[in-house]
Amino acid sequence: MSDEQNHNVSRRQFLTYTLTGVGGFMAAGIILPMARFAIDPVLQAESEGDMKAVTDVSELTEEPQRFDFSYDQEDAWVTSETTETAYIYQSGDEVVALSSTCTHLGCTVSWATNEEYPDEFFCPCHGGRYEKDGTNIEGTPPTEPLHKYEVEVRDGTVYVGKAEPQV
Amino acid sequence: MKWSTDDIPLFVKEREYVDTAVLPLLPIDFGDGIRQSGAMTEFITVMSAEIEKQFRGRMLLVPSFTYLAQRDIKECRREVEEWIQEMKKEKMKHIILITADSSWKKVESELDGLLVWMPLVPLENMDTAYKKQVISEQIKQLLPLVMDKWKE
Ligand code: FES
Repeated sequence: MSDEQNHNVSRRQFLTYTLTGVGGFMAAGIILPMARFAIDPVLQAESEGDMKAVTDVSELTEEPQRFDFSYDQEDAWVTSETTETAYIYQSGDEVVALSSTCTHLGCTVSWATNEEYPDEFFCPCHGGRYEKDGTNIEGTPPTEPLHKYEVEVRDGTVYVGKAEPQV
Repeated sequence: MKWSTDDIPLFVKEREYVDTAVLPLLPIDFGDGIRQSGAMTEFITVMSAEIEKQFRGRMLLVPSFTYLAQRDIKECRREVEEWIQEMKKEKMKHIILITADSSWKKVESELDGLLVWMPLVPLENMDTAYKKQVISEQIKQLLPLVMDKWKE
């Protein structure tokens, strides 16, 4: 009986050792690629800093207008074409480009689509509202202004870069 | 929000704001209908991704319900109904079913959700710019349907 038990224990021990061994291998296998993924986004951020041509300055007015532009985005194993929508307008000498992504939970906002608020950006999801310069209106869910794109005007063409928080 | 490791934690955290589920219904055919089945899958997948993008803060894009194309639609309906009830139990108030398969129209009245049937637009042989235009036209028609549903 006790013989049998000894036998069992040693088998269990054997199993434990083996499993730890295998587990150890697996952990090593997992950590390596993770380190690679961890480096990748940094490199990617740099290449995403590129400015994209969106429209001619002559198209712009004081009223925010919607412009779509696309670029390739690499996300781990898929490269997909991503389309972003910006609202661009002329404010004095400055060209302002605001992101259309609601800062609450990411729905797409639009300019002057709600009859009650003709001079505001409106989010259809939870009624988020923003002023023309992107400032979030208190009492609605968003807690920060719409993000603002880096803008460059060269030879009559408007280029936008990354959208950055306004605060 | 998508059914992904990035979005699901967000969904869990913000679920009081997410009251709408979008469920694509995709018929699968391995026989003569395989082309059609492929085209529908592509089309509906693109459309549902676009809706998700517009309304991501309030909706969850659920993995598609796939079924063999030759199956009796009544049987499929029963199964989908099970999904719907389960989602409703988890506080999804609005269920949007999106499909290009017209047989769903026969059972529309028995579905506890909004059935959005979109006639298949064959995206093959279209150049990218045209494709985008077609899709954004379709989406424009779809958005008000969703927003009306929210008014209920
Ligand atoms: S996502 Fe815009 S208000 Fe909630």
